[in-house]
Amino acid sequence: MERAAQQAVPLGQMEVFQALQRLHMTIFSQSVSPCGKFLAAGNNYGQIAIFSLSAALSSEAKEESKKPMVTFQAHDGPVYSMVSTDRHLLSAGDGEVKAWLWAEILKKGCKELWRRQPPYRTSLEVPEINALLLVPKENLLILAGGDCQLHAMDLETGTFMWALRGHTDYIHCLALRERSPEVLSGGEDGAVRLWDLRTAKEVQTIEVYKHEECSRPHNGRWIGCLATDSDWMVCGGGPALTLWHLRSSTPTTVFPMRAPQKHVTFYQDLILSAGQGHCVNQWQLSGELKAQVPGSSPGLLSLSLNQQPAAPECKVLTAAGNSCRVDVFTNLGYRAFSLSF
Amino acid sequence: MSSESSKKRKPKVIRSDGAPAEGKRTRSDTEQEGKYYSEEAEVDLRDPGRDYELYKYTCQELQRLMAEIQDLKSRGGKDAAVEIEDRRIQSCVHFMTLKKLNRLAHIRLKKGRDQTHEAKQKVDAYHLQLQNLLYEVMHLQKEITKCLEFKSKHEEIDLVSLEEFYKEAPPDISKAEVTMGDPHQQTLARLDWELEQRKRLAEKYRECLSNKEKILKEIEVKKEYLSSLQPRLNSIMQASLPVQEYLFMPFDQAHKQYETARHLPPPLYVLFVQATAYGQACDKTLSVAIEGSVDEAKALFKPPEDSQDDESDSDAEEEQTTKRRRPTLGVQLDDKRKEMLKRHPLSVLLDLKCKGLAPLSLGHLLTPRSAASCSHVGVWQADAPLPTKIFCSARSQLVLTWKQQWEEDWHIQGLDHRKLSVNGGFAHQWERALPPPDGHFCVEPRAWPVFSMQSFPSSSDLLSPDSVLSCLYPGDHGKKTPNPANQYQFDKVGILTLRDYVLDLGHPYLWVQKLGGLHFPKEQPQHTVIADHSQSASHMETTMKLLKTRVQSRLALHKQFASLEHGIVPVTSDCHYLFPAKVVSRLVKWVTIAHEDYTELHFTKDIVEAGLAGDTNLYYMALVERGTAKLQAAVVLNPGYSSIPPIFQLCLNWKGEKTNNNDDNIRAMESEVNVCYKELCGPRPGHQLLTNQLQRLCVLLDVYLETESHDDSVEGPKEFPQEKMCLRLFRGPSRMKPFKYNHPQGFFSHR
Repeated sequence: MERAAQQAVPLGQMEVFQALQRLHMTIFSQSVSPCGKFLAAGNNYGQIAIFSLSAALSSEAKEESKKPMVTFQAHDGPVYSMVSTDRHLLSAGDGEVKAWLWAEILKKGCKELWRRQPPYRTSLEVPEINALLLVPKENLLILAGGDCQLHAMDLETGTFMWALRGHTDYIHCLALRERSPEVLSGGEDGAVRLWDLRTAKEVQTIEVYKHEECSRPHNGRWIGCLATDSDWMVCGGGPALTLWHLRSSTPTTVFPMRAPQKHVTFYQDLILSAGQGHCVNQWQLSGELKAQVPGSSPGLLSLSLNQQPAAPECKVLTAAGNSCRVDVFTNLGYRAFSLSF
Repeated sequence: MSSESSKKRKPKVIRSDGAPAEGKRTRSDTEQEGKYYSEEAEVDLRDPGRDYELYKYTCQELQRLMAEIQDLKSRGGKDAAVEIEDRRIQSCVHFMTLKKLNRLAHIRLKKGRDQTHEAKQKVDAYHLQLQNLLYEVMHLQKEITKCLEFKSKHEEIDLVSLEEFYKEAPPDISKAEVTMGDPHQQTLARLDWELEQRKRLAEKYRECLSNKEKILKEIEVKKEYLSSLQPRLNSIMQASLPVQEYLFMPFDQAHKQYETARHLPPPLYVLFVQATAYGQACDKTLSVAIEGSVDEAKALFKPPEDSQDDESDSDAEEEQTTKRRRPTLGVQLDDKRKEMLKRHPLSVLLDLKCKGLAPLSLGHLLTPRSAASCSHVGVWQADAPLPTKIFCSARSQLVLTWKQQWEEDWHIQGLDHRKLSVNGGFAHQWERALPPPDGHFCVEPRAWPVFSMQSFPSSSDLLSPDSVLSCLYPGDHGKKTPNPANQYQFDKVGILTLRDYVLDLGHPYLWVQKLGGLHFPKEQPQHTVIADHSQSASHMETTMKLLKTRVQSRLALHKQFASLEHGIVPVTSDCHYLFPAKVVSRLVKWVTIAHEDYTELHFTKDIVEAGLAGDTNLYYMALVERGTAKLQAAVVLNPGYSSIPPIFQLCLNWKGEKTNNNDDNIRAMESEVNVCYKELCGPRPGHQLLTNQLQRLCVLLDVYLETESHDDSVEGPKEFPQEKMCLRLFRGPSRMKPFKYNHPQGFFSHR
């Protein structure tokens, strides 16, 4: 196998460059289309690739169907975050958020619908946008990233309504509490902050690194991932992955995982997390490791659960990170195949 | 039977009757005669029907008499005996009658037979006659048809048409008044005319022949005159040589070279012509020369027929020898191989001078030691060439092959950094097929360049002929024979792979074939290949330019390596803007490693799996150090450097082992040097790429170490205080460090 690979060497300048580009590709973000049949993935070269999940999952899937059906240059810098509304794909990375019409993307006519830049105060370097969050009830899009603020944009008018300041370093992640309209944000400064959307005020601050149970000074303070479910919150990063009870602001479970986690999400009665290392980890709420499912990338940055009711046949978990491949898990037990840039 | 018995009896009768009859005859001859023949004559007289009635009657009488006798006997009586006697006498008379009748019957039978026989003989005779007559008729008929079918020779003669005949023929031949009506006479006349005409033409032909001979003689005379002119001209040429030399006009030398070029095999000839043309038109630094023995090359050109005969002879001889010396079969095969891979006595030498190599800055010029060793000149002499003939029956067609070979030799002469001359000859191997029926030759040549140069320790692989010429075009590693047909010939003499022989023969690079005008289609293994000028011309310029850049970049690398080995990364002044003024990390080691060692490194798996670590590449290991941090970098140097960038794989030993697998920032550093290499190329033609990449690596290591988040819980100062100016330490979800250097301001930012 290895021998065969070496024999197939006749590479010209272009081929070598492309091979190197693929080799050093990182997929930062994923988003499932509103119909549930397509998956958008954004990489560090600012490209967005659209994969057809339904084609790749169908019984007559070929190698061809695991390649992107369309790839386009969306941003100049990496695409750190993407979300989908019921009509649009919103992507953000290098300080701008851009909107693309799903309907047009699928027709392979990829022209941006609009682009917006939040009002930044600094001018030397354009801050990046690390996280996008949709608040469907208020038709709001919340952006957070390099300038340590949460910007709220009205999707109706496209105007930035307010900014929430409080973080002392850049923001990694956002999470929404559905019932009481509150937003959680976690950042490089090691704090998880709760914001009330109605008053646009900070409600609560949890400085995770100050709790001995979960602090890991050699890894740093930064909070890389965040997820909530009613009164519960799970966060990880430099500190260990920890389950918190929000009302009492106490860590209830510390998950025994050495590597920093980059993405965490609740799924039914499980917590799925991924980060450094090629496995998707499944945790019981009690802190037991239920399973570790290996993927194909050396490190994972994002997980995406396709739970669109419109496409029950495409109900899969996809994971992407430090490679040009998006791993597809048809059930939580094992990796079925990989989509590849 | 009965007739026979009657015959026997007749003489008896005659004899018994003889004696008395004699006497009687004398008395009345006629009577006697009539008596003697009476019965036979009687036959004619008597009526057979009456005889039959008589016979019936006699038989009835006999029956009656017998019955009466029986009756009398049975009654018995005295008078019976008399009556019986009487009756017996009567019966005897009847018996006599019966006897007579019997004889008559016999005679009649005989007579009838005789008559039948006679008639039969007559019929037979008639029949015979009839058959004779029929045969005669048939024969005559045949003769008639033969006559009818007879064809005269004159019908085959294409006579002039009738009108023409009457128009042209003189009246004494045509005799129109006689021949008009009589087709036979007409034909005769026409034939006469034909004969007349032919006689006239024959006369004309003889005249022309004599004319021709006359002209030939004239030509002979003129030729003699011309040949007498040659020596005179030669002497004039000879006399003009010193003048030519004095005036730097090498007409004569060029002429001589063209003369020699005629003995080059087609691919080399194409190469010679095209290279000369290219050199004259576009590139003055390219000069072409032919080396080797012309006489030996001439000896190779024998008429194919002779060679074929020789071959059959030697074939037979060969068989004998194999019978005699069976155990030496292996040796024989070895000889065959050697013969097959023999070189052609002539070689074309391409001399490509590369001028104006940019000297390296910072005074890192060549050390005297390496400069001295560079001036070595390696020349590979061709073996004594003999035409080798091999019958190849792969296509049920006799293929007669000469295996010849040229050597190509690259040597670097008097290397200083101002002028470099590279000589290349070409090792060619070509085969010539017997002419197919339509009479043109198929030529299937191959060309192999061979390089030899003394290796010197520091960068042996770098300037080794193997690697300088390898992969000039993507994938052209010269390890397989470019002509698929060769495989069959190799099979015949038991050469499994060409690899084992490449060392002796040189690599059959595809680009050399193309320069020689040969194009081998990959999908058609039996395609015959003809040396083509356009093929060579279309590749000459690009190949020469590639060769030049290749050698230039190799020489640049060679210089750079000399300083790299001393731990100095040479950065030219025009590339200073790429790096900050202060770089603390230092290159401490730069060594060559083997391909196998590279593939066994734990952090190079990705490159190997991506197929970027072929065995045509060169492999190096660099070690960059700063304090306790040691950064290993495994480098793949593609032969296509510097258009194809070197590929770095990193492994940092500092607070544990960090590779791209477990540290995103190491991965980012790799991508900084591997993917963003274009900004590191420096001024064209980008020979500073490798050194710039290494310098960049040092900078990246500085940034990596200085921005590493300080563990508050550990006492004491940071090992690497932050000296670089950074806008932000981390950015993005994967917490990238600010690796991008902004030149005039001198700060680091994120890409």
